[in-house]
Amino acid sequence: MTTLLITAAALLLLLIGTPVFVVICGLALYLFYASGIDLSAVIIEIHRLATTPILVAIPLFTFAGYLLSESGAPRRLIRLADALLGWLPGGLSVIALGTCAIFTALTGATGLTIIALGGILLPAMNRGKYPESFSLGLLTTSGTLGLLFPPSLPLIVYAIVAKVGIGQLFVAGLLPGALLVVLLSAYSIFIAARSRVPRKTFRTGELVAAGRECIWELPLPLVVLGGIYTGYFAVSEAAAITAMYVLVVEVLILRDIRWGALPELIKQSMMLVGGVLIILGAAMGLTNYLIDAEIPMQMLDFFQAHIESRLVFLVVLNLFLLAVGCTMGIFSALVVVVPLIAPIAQAYAIDPIHLGIIFLTNLEIGASLPPLGINLFIAGLRFERPVLKLYAACLPFVGLLLAALGLITYWPWLSLALVR
Amino acid sequence: MRFWERMDETIGRLEKALMVLFLGLMIVAAFAQIALRNFVGVGLPWSESLVRYLVLWVGFIGASLAAREGRHITIEVIKLRPSAGGRRYLAAVSELCAVGVCTVMTWAAVKFVRDDAQIDNRTFLDWPTWVLETIIPAAFAIMSLRFLLRAIRALRRDAARREPAPPL
Repeated sequence: MTTLLITAAALLLLLIGTPVFVVICGLALYLFYASGIDLSAVIIEIHRLATTPILVAIPLFTFAGYLLSESGAPRRLIRLADALLGWLPGGLSVIALGTCAIFTALTGATGLTIIALGGILLPAMNRGKYPESFSLGLLTTSGTLGLLFPPSLPLIVYAIVAKVGIGQLFVAGLLPGALLVVLLSAYSIFIAARSRVPRKTFRTGELVAAGRECIWELPLPLVVLGGIYTGYFAVSEAAAITAMYVLVVEVLILRDIRWGALPELIKQSMMLVGGVLIILGAAMGLTNYLIDAEIPMQMLDFFQAHIESRLVFLVVLNLFLLAVGCTMGIFSALVVVVPLIAPIAQAYAIDPIHLGIIFLTNLEIGASLPPLGINLFIAGLRFERPVLKLYAACLPFVGLLLAALGLITYWPWLSLALVR
Repeated sequence: MRFWERMDETIGRLEKALMVLFLGLMIVAAFAQIALRNFVGVGLPWSESLVRYLVLWVGFIGASLAAREGRHITIEVIKLRPSAGGRRYLAAVSELCAVGVCTVMTWAAVKFVRDDAQIDNRTFLDWPTWVLETIIPAAFAIMSLRFLLRAIRALRRDAARREPAPPL
């Protein structure tokens, strides 16, 4: 009874905007206290997490991502993509999709992508005579597309929470991520052709000039992906190399970022890291309690008594995760829900790597899903448009993403083909 | 109140400086380790532990600064208009809960560090681990103070202005 009351109070606190880590820590403290466990056990869990070897990848990749997004790299990348694809019908919208995906993969913060890139891309798309509702929907939803691509922060967090190989998960996300990008690109080209968006002519000179400008940033994907996929570097090593490389290129060589601007940038990026790590640590304590209390086992019994087929389980899982992604946000959902669901999914013979991709795709769509998806509100603030207008603008995109989600969920090959 | 506000600000500046130092050290140490192993063929056995403790410090300082700037991850579903009077009280309730939880966490963390000091664990370069763990109680204590200041500010009308930073 008390536990029920406490849980209800915790939910209420979450709804009025109490930091997620406070609520999770509070729950963990209460549950440990109620079962007579020393409270310092909560700290032991946080400390154990913080000294996990892979964790260093989180601050390093996030810092590199923030550096890149503050530098001239987004502008240069857009110029290059424009020179390369601008002649296509809908070229600019495809560019917007791709750049947003890359930046979310690097920074791990979908809201940041909308704020940083939306400001450049929305005016550009308006000038390019794209229908505004289309542009708004595109920029709101494509912020999350990068989550399936390495080295995105949510992929790393999933791997830590679910205890699966980060390298494998990085590879697994490639095809499903590409599917989402291709699908939305096709739709964008279709819309652009239908609304007769003017096309640009292809100029080789511009392509060469734009390519030369990007010469320092272009090897980056090779460092991040090549090193990991060939097994030459561990993920944490790739993170260290990326951070060092980006720092040298943007600060010393290109001088896009002044030395004096670095402390503030470090502070901004590490506040995100600290916020994620403390939730992660707190959730580890809570999870250990829940596993000791055999909560996942009880949930499993319940599921197996009511759901026989794997297919039905997956449908229920999808609906549940969409709701969670829409209300809780990606990081809180990952740390709280993954430990509960993973053992159940295993009983239904779902591959843990595939499960990770299902999780992230759901949460990524949930973040743009009306009525509560966080991206809708961030885009509303950034673009100064009423949220209702964004609901309507996002619907076609969300619909397409949901179709892709079906494919990703019920066709495990897509996630597992490259892993094996 | 003025005194505590100034204290908060001073701690914030110190934290920022430490964070720059530690992140820089983290990048250099992690990178040097790879470079040395691949080109010279020798590893630095202690640098791996050093990097892990730097992550602990950077993470906790980041969390503590996030409490100062209202940047912790939240799920805000009940969206009241900023002008709505009730909002201040809801904010105060949630900040005060945060004060409570962080205070208990501080106490638990102090106990954790004390226990570790008794065992006298050692890590890289023979540093006692408990010294490196002091950031945990320190960060929770500072967060308690900051959430308290935020609660007071929320209740006072003068500082009812909202943070400009949107949730990321």
